[in-house]
Amino acid sequence: MAPAAVFLAVFVGWPLVKLVVDSLYDIAPLAGTREFTGLGNYGQALTSPEFLGAAGRTALYTALVVTLEFTLGLAAALLFNALGSRARWIRTLFLYPLMIAPVVAGLLWRFLLIDNFGIVNELLTRLGIIDGPDAIGWLSDPDIVLFSVALPDIWLTTSFMALVLFAGLQNIPGDVLEAAHLDGSGPWHTLTRVTLPLLRPVIAVALVVRGIDAARAFDVILIQTNGGPQSASETLSLLIYRTMVRFGEPGLASAMGTLYLIAMLGVALIAVATIWRPGKGAQR
Amino acid sequence: MTPRTSTRTLLWALLTSIVVLYAFPFAYLILTSLKLPTDAIAVPPTVLPKAWSLENYGTALATPGVIPSFINSTSTAVISTVLSVLLAVPAAYGITRYGTVSGRIFIMLALVTRMVPPVAIGVPLVTLMSTAGITDTPTALALAHTTISLPLSIWLMASFFEAVPPSLEEAAVVDGCTRLQALVRIVVPVVGGGIAVTAIFAFLASWNEFLFALLLTAVRAQTTPIVIANFQTQYGLQWGPMTALATLYSVPVVLFTLLLQRRIVAGMTLGAVKG
Repeated sequence: MAPAAVFLAVFVGWPLVKLVVDSLYDIAPLAGTREFTGLGNYGQALTSPEFLGAAGRTALYTALVVTLEFTLGLAAALLFNALGSRARWIRTLFLYPLMIAPVVAGLLWRFLLIDNFGIVNELLTRLGIIDGPDAIGWLSDPDIVLFSVALPDIWLTTSFMALVLFAGLQNIPGDVLEAAHLDGSGPWHTLTRVTLPLLRPVIAVALVVRGIDAARAFDVILIQTNGGPQSASETLSLLIYRTMVRFGEPGLASAMGTLYLIAMLGVALIAVATIWRPGKGAQR
Repeated sequence: MTPRTSTRTLLWALLTSIVVLYAFPFAYLILTSLKLPTDAIAVPPTVLPKAWSLENYGTALATPGVIPSFINSTSTAVISTVLSVLLAVPAAYGITRYGTVSGRIFIMLALVTRMVPPVAIGVPLVTLMSTAGITDTPTALALAHTTISLPLSIWLMASFFEAVPPSLEEAAVVDGCTRLQALVRIVVPVVGGGIAVTAIFAFLASWNEFLFALLLTAVRAQTTPIVIANFQTQYGLQWGPMTALATLYSVPVVLFTLLLQRRIVAGMTLGAVKG
């Protein structure tokens, strides 16, 4: 245990301490000056429209990704469960996007969604759903861009959700479902009143794990829109990256990073505490 | 409960259409990479290539930095995987076998590190690596990638060790093995499959990582995801060669995973389902 603890202390613990310390300073990397400003950077972050906007977009992006993934993943898991072992090869196929680099996925979807020569708009046009190949500006319309940039993320990891939920479904004893059926419970009623409550701990873990990952999304968005148009898809990771690396304001960026980390921990803890409810017999 | 045949047919139809939709993007990536460079961005686009060609692959592989980037990606991922497994196995073993309070706190803290946004520790890590004099090397990037894979590896390995009954090694100790010999000779072979799963996850985490690679590498240690991303800025929008490179980078891991899929599913669902 000791070597792993030392490793994490050096390569995660120390950078985190440095992050928090830096957040209290006004740093000019080019001039090489550091000036203590107390909570000044925090004040600046919390009153800047960029930070608040990016925080809101991060929350929206995360909610969008997790909700869609959960809905689609649960549907797929229920299908797998209903079809049994004969759906094995499909489950295998379902796994493959998980192995693709987010950069590649982002790039690929940018290519699929691009105006003019994107295949998605072309197919939609041919099906008569839209008027022409540039009728929907997936990545150039600020109103829908946050949804469009989420597509590769959803494509990449819905399988994770599906497989975890499927494994959870397999652990539900058949006689419980049989009993519900004999008691006259319809399929929808059984799903909402028996299956989902039994899946609760599995759902909690899946949602928290995916929520954390989605809230940290960086490369998928960077490669598709670089946060644009007009910052309409700029999430916190991108804003912090830009503030730190491009604008050269490590102090302010560190304060943003610290706030971001605190918010993530807070939300994750609340989510675990309310959905998971460990110790109340919900573990299995 | 077995659904009636008509319901079953409907379900299969539904599932098949989902799979087609799901597989299409990747199939389209591969098909585009096999088009002529000009056809790749033709208006209107076609699904199948008008003429099959490997020209995009030639262009991609001839681009400076592409082949070294594959070597860098591979060596970074290998170093990071070995490091993760070497650190995670004893840590997870200690936590599950001795069940101390510090062990439980440690595994919770390891989980918390999963919540740390990489962008928050990326820049301090750059400072750390330059202090250590290993800036822009695969080793430096591998160390950064291990911060991502180690917590997950410890978590996974702990689940695998929990499945091994302690009586197994106690018997070995009774038979005259030391504790360490019992771990190396008895327990490690039993959890061999678990170590393989952990290694696959660590490898993939490093292979596909982007942000640390962007911050920690400049020229010498650049990995392929960075090179792929650079295609769109340095050389304009070269979609054809870019799809070829993306295909070359993804197909080996996708094939590899499909071969080992049963183990991977087991590893992925283990932590969540055990609760």
